[in-house]
Parts: sequence; structure tokens; C-alpha cells
Amino acid sequence: MQNSSSSSSLMVKQEFFTKWKKGLKIYSAFNKEMTIMERKRAIKLSADVAIASTRSATTQWSRAVVAEVSSSAAGAARIAAEEILGRKLSTERRKAQAGKKIVRRRRKAAARGAVRSSAAAVAKKVVRNRRRVLKRLIPGWKKLDEICLIKETLDYIASLQVQVDVMRHLANAGETLHHQQILL
Amino acid sequence: MEPELEPPQLQFRSAEMGCAFDDFHGLISTPQVTGGSSFTALLELAPPQAVELLVTEDFPAKQPLPPPIFPTDIGLIHRASKFSVFASADNSMESNTILSVSNSIPVKQEDLDADSRRNSSSPAGSDQSLKSGKRKEREKKLKESNKKSKSKAANDDGEELPYVHVRARRGQATDSHSLAERARREKINARMKLLQELVPGCNKISGTAMVLDEIINHVQALQRQVEFLSMRLAAVSPGIDFDLDSLFTVNGSSNDNSYSGMLAPPICTEGQLDGARQLQLQQLWHCDELHQSVWARETDTSNFIAPANSLLSYDSTSANSGKPVAPRCTTS
Repeated sequence: MQNSSSSSSLMVKQEFFTKWKKGLKIYSAFNKEMTIMERKRAIKLSADVAIASTRSATTQWSRAVVAEVSSSAAGAARIAAEEILGRKLSTERRKAQAGKKIVRRRRKAAARGAVRSSAAAVAKKVVRNRRRVLKRLIPGWKKLDEICLIKETLDYIASLQVQVDVMRHLANAGETLHHQQILL
Repeated sequence: MEPELEPPQLQFRSAEMGCAFDDFHGLISTPQVTGGSSFTALLELAPPQAVELLVTEDFPAKQPLPPPIFPTDIGLIHRASKFSVFASADNSMESNTILSVSNSIPVKQEDLDADSRRNSSSPAGSDQSLKSGKRKEREKKLKESNKKSKSKAANDDGEELPYVHVRARRGQATDSHSLAERARREKINARMKLLQELVPGCNKISGTAMVLDEIINHVQALQRQVEFLSMRLAAVSPGIDFDLDSLFTVNGSSNDNSYSGMLAPPICTEGQLDGARQLQLQQLWHCDELHQSVWARETDTSNFIAPANSLLSYDSTSANSGKPVAPRCTTS
């Protein structure tokens, strides 16, 4: 992967990085001593909320991430998330959002009746299963229909890539410096 | 101990390094705008021709939005979907080329040939669409476009063109249901293509099931990477103590820029260090030395790294998570 990113990708990365740092700062202000697992959870949560907030309200998955955090976060996590997003989180309890269509999975097989064991039918079944699996990977999958699924996947993959890149750079930089420091 | 001494030194150093860093950063951050849209730029892909052409079409329409990648991002996706269903008049030729290049089925071209007109007004559109003189189909299309305009307004989020003109292909049913179905399928296919561009290695695979498989693997891999990376950062950070990040902000939030520019040379260092990483994790950092090394690194990578390399005697275990390590440095 090239490191020469163009400016707009850079902007996303910087935005993510700033927001992420904001969240981490709050954590460290709360709690000087954290175990490794707590730290990891803090890092991950801050990163997730930060990357979701770069897309906030335009994509389903980002909304779902924020909703999930807002309903299950407490204490430092909540404050950090609110700080990153810049707004108060409301504890919504699975409120039905009137945004996207809610998918009703109707079992049309019964209606169709005839058993189709042709190759095409088998292939279709395989594809359908895979689509279902993919759907479950995306946060907020319950509200995705087929068209939106692909669009959300696109967006989600791109955002994950940004997140991974930034985190990897930071981790590498930190470790490299650590070692150089040890050696010199 | 050291950490108490460190804050005043730290401020001083960061201040003095700050100006040097700014110059350096200015150098690095001269943006080469690849001319690509935000979307492919986001992916750091060298955009294949299809996507590139999609992108250049994006520019005239969406130029004045500086920060938001995402409107243009979605815009790109919309445009990709639009291509298959209808095309704007300007780009009919290009879109034909695009689609032939990207091996779409020939009927798609036919679709675009017929649909090369502005969609804003259907009577005007029907005037221009006299490529094939099928009156019945045109009437179907008008009805279809009226119906589609409503459904489009309901479904899509922000597409500005009101009508979708779908040409019924030869030998296919022309009732509105199948037309709608076909339009929907084409939209899905267009987006799947974009997805294929995005996921590395999907271009060569043919067949939806395999492609979906790859996509699923990719998403899972990315999610796992996030987990591992956060674990790595958590392990590294006892020495850094989250506030290190606040140090980075001294130089503006442009750290990643510099780091991405400079981590390319030290990639070889990482590869060699990874093997010994676990040994060092328990040791406490000396924070002031760390900060010194951070800022010194910003300004003068090569001199700094080289001595470190010369001292290394680890094997180059490329245990990095998926990053292609090209060891350019040699260990003595």
C-alpha cells in the first residue's frame, strides 16, 4: 500500500486521528492507571467512535456504531464518545428508526413450491447465503436492504481501511521509537 | 524518576523542534491531488480506468465541497449506478468506452447508447432517443420513467436526476415490473463492480459468490486488524501514556502525514524489530528520550535510523500485519 495518499484521504485520516486523540485524552484524564485490557478497550472504542463520527449521519453503519456505543457505554467511555461526537448521547433502547426500510424476510420458498435443483438455483442460494453473511458483518445490519448493503459495505470498508492505516502507523511509530530508544 | 523531569524538557524540545517540523511538514504536505475523487483517494488506489472516468465526471458537478469526502463519495457511487441505468449526455461516449473496457455485457452499451441524453425532461429525452425507432418502447419508457421518478425519489438519498430511463432490450419483456427489476439489478451490479475495485484481488475473480467471499474475508480481516492494532497500541502505551498523543498535537494534527511519509524508510526497521518487540514490552520508557527521538525523527530520518540499523542484529521477521516489508537496510 502506497504511503503517498492524496490530500482528501489525508484529511479523513487527520480528522480521524484528531478525534481519536480527543477520546484517548479523556480516558487518560479519567483514569491514570489502566490495565492493558482496559487500555485496549479504550483505544478501540475511541477509534470506532472517531471513525464513525467522520461519517456521522450519512451512513447507516456509522449511526449504528454510535447507537450501540450510546446504549452500552458507561462512565469514561460515554464522556469520551460524547466529546468526540460533540453532542450528548441519548440512551435509545432499540427505537425503530424511520430512516431506511426495515427488511422483512419473507420466506418465498413456500410460495414458489417447486424444488429447483438446477445449477443456477444452487448458485443463487449460495450467493444469497453469502450476502447474508456479509450483511451480518456490517454494523447496523438489521436495517440494510440489498442495495444499501453494497453501498454501506463500500463505505465501511473504506473507513475501516483508514482506521487500520492510522492505527498501524501509530503503532509502528511507537514501537520503532521504543526500540530505538532502548538501543541508543 | 525521569517522568517528573520530563515535562519541562518536553515543552522546550517540542517548541524548538516545532518550527523545524513545520518546514518539513510543509514539504511533505504539498498535496499531489491525483485528480481522483475522494473515494478512490480514500482508498489510495490507483484508480482503474473505469473508476477514474467515473471520477473525472464527478469533478464538474461536485467541485466546491472541500472537506467532505463523503458527499462525493456517495456521489461517486450514485454515478456508478447511474452509468448502468442511464448516462448523462456528455459522457455517453466515455461511458461506452468504460463499459467496454470493463467487460460488461454488450447489452449495456446498447442501453447507454439509447440513453445518451439529459434526463431532466422526458419529452426532450424522447426526442433524442431516436436511435432505434421503437415507438412502443419509448412509450413504455415514458410510463416507466414516470413511475421510476416516484420510486427514485422515495428510494435514493440525494440523487438529483428525477427520471430513470431504461430501455427494454430486444427480446425481453417490457412491462414495468421487469424493467424496474432490471434497473434495480443493474444498479446492484454497478455497485458490486465498485466493490470489486475496492477489495484487492477481486478484479480477477469472476462469479458473484467468489467475489462476495473475498469481500467477506476482507471485511473480517480489517475488523481483526483493528482488534490487533488496538491491542498493540495498548501494549506499547504504558510507556507513552496516552498523553503522548497530546504531544503530537503540538505540531498540528498533521502527524500522520509526516509519519506516513517517513515510515516508508523505517519499514525495514520495523521488520527487524518485530521479533524482539515482545521482549521490550515490559520495560518502561524514558519519556524524555522518547520525545527527543520523536522530534528528531521528524526532521532527520535517515541519519537517525541508520545508527539504529547498524546496531540491530535481529533477524528480519516480517511479522507485521500484512504490510509488505521490503528490507532496504542491511543489518551489520
